[in-house]
Amino acid sequence: MKIVKKYFLIFSLFCYAGLSANELTVCASCEYPTIKEAVQLAQSGDTLIIEPGTYFESDIQIEKPLTILGINYPVIDGQEKSYIINITSDSVTIKGLSLKNIGRSYTTDFAAIRTYKVKYFHFEDIKLDNPFFGFHIEKSSNGVIKNNIIRGNAVSEHNSGNGIHLWHSSKIQILNNSIENMRDGIYFEFVKHSIVRDNVSRNNIRYGLHFMFSNDDRYEKNLFEKNGAGVAVMFSKNIYMKYNTFRLNWGSASYGLLLKEINDAVITHNQFDQNTIGVNADGANRIVFENNSFNNNGWAIRFLGACYGNKILQNNFLHNALDISYKGNMNGNIFDRNFWSEYTGYDLNKDNIGDVPYRPVKLFSYVVNNTPETIILLRSLFVDIINFSEKVSPIFTPDNLKDFNPLMKPVINND
Amino acid sequence: MHRLKLILLFFGFVSLVSCGIEPGTIDYGKDACSFCQMNIVDNQHAAQVVTNKGKVFKYDAIECMMRDIKKKDHNSIALYLITDYSEPGKFTDAQKATYLVSANVPSPMGANLSGFSKKENASTLQQEKEGTLYSWDELKNQF
Repeated sequence: MKIVKKYFLIFSLFCYAGLSANELTVCASCEYPTIKEAVQLAQSGDTLIIEPGTYFESDIQIEKPLTILGINYPVIDGQEKSYIINITSDSVTIKGLSLKNIGRSYTTDFAAIRTYKVKYFHFEDIKLDNPFFGFHIEKSSNGVIKNNIIRGNAVSEHNSGNGIHLWHSSKIQILNNSIENMRDGIYFEFVKHSIVRDNVSRNNIRYGLHFMFSNDDRYEKNLFEKNGAGVAVMFSKNIYMKYNTFRLNWGSASYGLLLKEINDAVITHNQFDQNTIGVNADGANRIVFENNSFNNNGWAIRFLGACYGNKILQNNFLHNALDISYKGNMNGNIFDRNFWSEYTGYDLNKDNIGDVPYRPVKLFSYVVNNTPETIILLRSLFVDIINFSEKVSPIFTPDNLKDFNPLMKPVINND
Repeated sequence: MHRLKLILLFFGFVSLVSCGIEPGTIDYGKDACSFCQMNIVDNQHAAQVVTNKGKVFKYDAIECMMRDIKKKDHNSIALYLITDYSEPGKFTDAQKATYLVSANVPSPMGANLSGFSKKENASTLQQEKEGTLYSWDELKNQF
């Protein structure tokens, strides 16, 4: 009984604490005409309700736990001066705002919303119109960035910023955002234990998603379309990449997925459609490619130097100009049980596995590796002849670079 | 007739010279770094080297250039160029530049390295953002 009383007391205390949090309404004719004023006068844990309208404010400093809720997306116009909202306190929630005209600078990374050394933040339903940087998260953790729309204007400008920029942070969830026309859609530098899920990142001038020196992260179910390159994973370990779609990344420096100096990654159930190069791997070790589909790419996978211990299992290679391009020796890379649309062998015992191994590397891809300009000869008779002769009596391709069990039917389990 | 020949000869000569050693232009957002394959977008940190044969290697960061030239024959390179941090997009002679390494001025490949054609611009930024200044020779020892 005593225990029940004690809990009741604690419970009622919490209730009281809940009631003591005030609501402050901000509008032109209200008690608080500006957001800055309301933020200054609010107590820790208060909620600000922003009424519809346009507020010309910038550099709103939030130094205490607050909840800011916009009604019908009130606009905060930063008049290209500085940051719009600068957060240095834990437990800040911001929802339903529309932010525009963020300052631009060569030396400072101005952002619509910036956090510095902050925990437990939550940013939801925020519209960013032509920001320099969108969200700039520094040395922060345990945050959620969800359902936001970021529209940049970085079509030709190179002095542009990233949509969601994370630096030295951990345990961040980036969910269901839409990002267009920025430099990088989402950028991770020294970021750990974070998730990127269900986002759409397109028309960004560099990358849809970019990892630098970041370990133990995962991204899944995202769409990367028409970026300079879809995703770049560089100098990172233990990255999980699942159920993503990489589409229409065309151009001489364009890749669906760029892997550079990365170890121990898992790439499964992804879709690579119509990219110049589906996966460009350089210094990539111990990576498992499983159940991916490569459709109509220039190259499906291009392995450059120093790729060891990779496994390419049960993928579909459908109608790529060149399936695999390869430099150097096999170094423990394994190709097994993939479906190759160009495979022409028989399956006499009907076990769905071709009776003759498939060699995915064409002689011509070696020529192209050394002299990129020769690609214009791709569809010529001469190239067909050298490819055929290499197939009949291989001289250039490493002896064991073949798929011993090529499948006769595409792998279906793509979900 | 004689004059026409002379003019033709002159233009031929000019076109020969113009194929020679000169800095390339970087198409930001389209060109890739020769060293790390990244798209080049940052016009404050881009760099390039031009060989004696006129071939241009482009880099997204000065640190990429520094790492790449270690593999190259120094005698085969005619020009080392970097973009000036204080004048974005403008190329300057890398061997005469001053360099700032500051944790508060990030560069594309993580070395926090920026270059300046004028030393006073470098020291001004150093006062503001901290860090260490290097000359070209000192910088080469860092890589």
